[in-house]
Amino acid sequence: MTSSGAPKMAESGEEVDVLVQRVVKDITNAFKRNPNIDEIGLIPCPEARYNRSPIVLVENKLGVESWCVKFLLPYVHNKLLLYRQRKHWLEREALVDITCTLLLLNPDFTTAWNVRKELLQCGVLNPEKDLYLGKLALTKFPKSPETWIHRRWVLQQILRQCSALGRSRKQQGEAGQGDAERSQQLSDHLARTLHQEMKVCSDAACRYPSNYNAWSHRIWVLQHMAKGNVKVFHDELSSMRLWVSMHVSDHSGFHYRQFLLKELITELSQAPASTTISTSSPQHRPSNNPHHQGHLQANGEMSGAEGVCEEERQPGFTVVLQLFHDEMELCTDLIQSFPGHETLWCHRRHVFYLWHHWRREHQHHHCTSNGGTESVNLNSTDPGLAKASERGCEGRGDSVNGQLHATDAMEVDAVSLPDPRDTKRLKRGILSPCPPALPSEHSFVSGVLDSCNSPEQRRFARAYKKWLDTVIGQQP
Amino acid sequence: QTGSFSKEQRQPLPKSICVYIFYHAHALNFWMCIVTKTSVFFTCCMPTLLREQHYQYLKKGLRHLSDSYECLDASRPWLCYWILHSLELLEEPIPAAVASDVCQFLARCQSPTGGFAGGPGQHAHLAPTYAAVNALCIIGTEEAYNVIDREKLLDFLWSVKQPDGSFVMHVGGEVDVRSAYCAASVASLTNILTPKLFEDTPSWILRCQNWEGGLGGVPGLEAHGGYTFCGTAALVILGKEHMLDLKALLRWVVSRQMRFEGGFQGRCNKLVDGCYSFWQAGLLPLLHRAFFKEGESQLSRQRWMFEQQALQEYILLCCQNPAGGLLDKPGKSRDFYHTCYCLSGLSIAQHFGNVDLHHELILGKEENRLAPTHPVYNICPEKVAQALQHFHQLPVPEADQRHGASSADGPSAPAASSGSAEHQS
Repeated sequence: MTSSGAPKMAESGEEVDVLVQRVVKDITNAFKRNPNIDEIGLIPCPEARYNRSPIVLVENKLGVESWCVKFLLPYVHNKLLLYRQRKHWLEREALVDITCTLLLLNPDFTTAWNVRKELLQCGVLNPEKDLYLGKLALTKFPKSPETWIHRRWVLQQILRQCSALGRSRKQQGEAGQGDAERSQQLSDHLARTLHQEMKVCSDAACRYPSNYNAWSHRIWVLQHMAKGNVKVFHDELSSMRLWVSMHVSDHSGFHYRQFLLKELITELSQAPASTTISTSSPQHRPSNNPHHQGHLQANGEMSGAEGVCEEERQPGFTVVLQLFHDEMELCTDLIQSFPGHETLWCHRRHVFYLWHHWRREHQHHHCTSNGGTESVNLNSTDPGLAKASERGCEGRGDSVNGQLHATDAMEVDAVSLPDPRDTKRLKRGILSPCPPALPSEHSFVSGVLDSCNSPEQRRFARAYKKWLDTVIGQQP
Repeated sequence: QTGSFSKEQRQPLPKSICVYIFYHAHALNFWMCIVTKTSVFFTCCMPTLLREQHYQYLKKGLRHLSDSYECLDASRPWLCYWILHSLELLEEPIPAAVASDVCQFLARCQSPTGGFAGGPGQHAHLAPTYAAVNALCIIGTEEAYNVIDREKLLDFLWSVKQPDGSFVMHVGGEVDVRSAYCAASVASLTNILTPKLFEDTPSWILRCQNWEGGLGGVPGLEAHGGYTFCGTAALVILGKEHMLDLKALLRWVVSRQMRFEGGFQGRCNKLVDGCYSFWQAGLLPLLHRAFFKEGESQLSRQRWMFEQQALQEYILLCCQNPAGGLLDKPGKSRDFYHTCYCLSGLSIAQHFGNVDLHHELILGKEENRLAPTHPVYNICPEKVAQALQHFHQLPVPEADQRHGASSADGPSAPAASSGSAEHQS
């Protein structure tokens, strides 16, 4: 063997064949030995140690020594293409192993994912396997578009299977304990799948800043697996607080919060009566009817839409106000703690914009509280009215607290920030989920300009003020 | 005194260093950028486009295009387009033999069922279809035009059209707004466009515009430079750009030009990248024209609504590899994608107007001047005109209006198709 690099032993076609087959086998065996492998990586290693496998397994980490990639990848790639062109047959097992190897080295190789789609469709491959493989590939290639695309395809297969199961049971007219149990198992499975997806997205988002594909996937998952599920959206909003606080430049992370807010607001503004946050597992809502307005009961069944009258809608509105308030508070805290991050100001803009439009849409609704306080005029730019709304806030504070309690109980992360609501409450001595308002925004900007020396921060503050004046201020 | 010193005056060095540290994670990037920018200032050198080096880099790439060996690259039509467009911007001629070889290669990438694939024997995909048609139009010979099977191309477009107005990138694939642009581009150039083909497409694209003013990949996603360009350009082709909130879009895109670097970022709070010199800056000509059509009276007759000089500085000072080829930012490797889009952005920044009204702003030597590029198709305007003239002599094919695998049914037989090598991040 020469000392200059590529080992002579792997230069002939036959030798490459032997080497590659051995490497593919080593990878397969590694997974068999350790089903808990959770990360893959490339080990910079320009020369081969004679007769030693380039596959390294340490604890739960799978490494590939870099010297073998230039032999491995073209060879396996070619083999797959030949199979595709029907020039070379491969057994199913071999296909599974080869595509696995390929995708761990180059997960944007669409053909390999497509081969696995076929294997999945004829039952040779379990969908969970592909979710696992994708998860591993994303540890090294957190953006890989084809991996995320394939993931969605697999999830669609899983969802289709689940709803087919549900339908067939209904058709057979089964009833009774066994059916309810199976139904619960199914919904538990979906809930687990959902949470796993959130974790995969989270990990990928940590590995690459502002990971567009990861966050887009996260949104897709919620849209397809948690449609209308207020609990899941609330949970996500809670659990993301800490994450975005540690990634204050991650525009995609904050965009995700904007998506969650918007969905919650839409749901809460439509749904009648109690937004009782049940503790049952999230249900995949099979209804495709956008006008279907029911609410989740504890057993997961949907009830029909009840007559929507003002009093019944009020708790939903209260929660919405609380959401806006909390989000603005979070934004304020972060802007003040971390001066000069454009994302935070952009987020503030969006929250205010959402609030502004929601308020306009629901202008004609008056909230009456159980305590009999005056109706709250949501057009709170008038200082006199602002006072009235404060009183209104105070009065509603009790029921809001009740809601808050339920919200805290849903905190999925063991770690949580000290609740800013608590500290602010102690400071002010007033209970107030007060809605954002133009005057308070302007005074916020003035506060920043008065107290902050960072030129970037000052520039963003001025730009925000300009936006308030030119975009918001000029809308009817 | 050229404009190259005005930046120095606007922003004293210490502050710009602080801003730069903030933006760049890697010290190496930081030093390379500072050194490249300031050394140019201090040595009183005019920024120079390294024409000869780029030409050699592109020429070498072009040679390998016409080889028919199997390679890992599943984006050969893209390479054809990136290289040919870069050469036409540099006003370097393409030898007839090479042009013919490229035509024959692209013919082999064409699918028997219509459209072009990433390589011979693969399934058709809208992205390489866009690239192949553009490349053939750049070549612009009868042979090139004749490669395109227009009837089958129309069939392919129908097969990826969705009921909601969107297009999937390939049969059984996913939807995103790039597909509408690719479809509209090839359909309009080859004269196979019918209103029915793009029914509901404008309203779908519109849903991709979010509150920020930019467009995301699908409705509800974060605004992103690449997708914003594709959506806007598609609407321009379909004559529906006025449906967008143009003012919001303008606000969004001008905020994407970086104060210090002069180049553009793809999204809020991200780093600068040379390729956005086209995807983002290329929006300004489209917006200018859209506002003009609406009767906007305050429009400049000399400048686009972005800092043209600053962009040229960024590209010339920070995005050139001394051995040829252009790149994302200092410290990154060159590639043909960045070469194409950095040069396209440079061209946009140098040329204002259209055939009737033209105003040039060339930073540095006159030799830095590139050919103008068409802001919708991103090939040279003469090539667009020529192609349109050729294909409009031919009748619009009758389509077999089968609506192929719709996404409602889910993906059908998986296709061994190539992914696009477009860099989306």
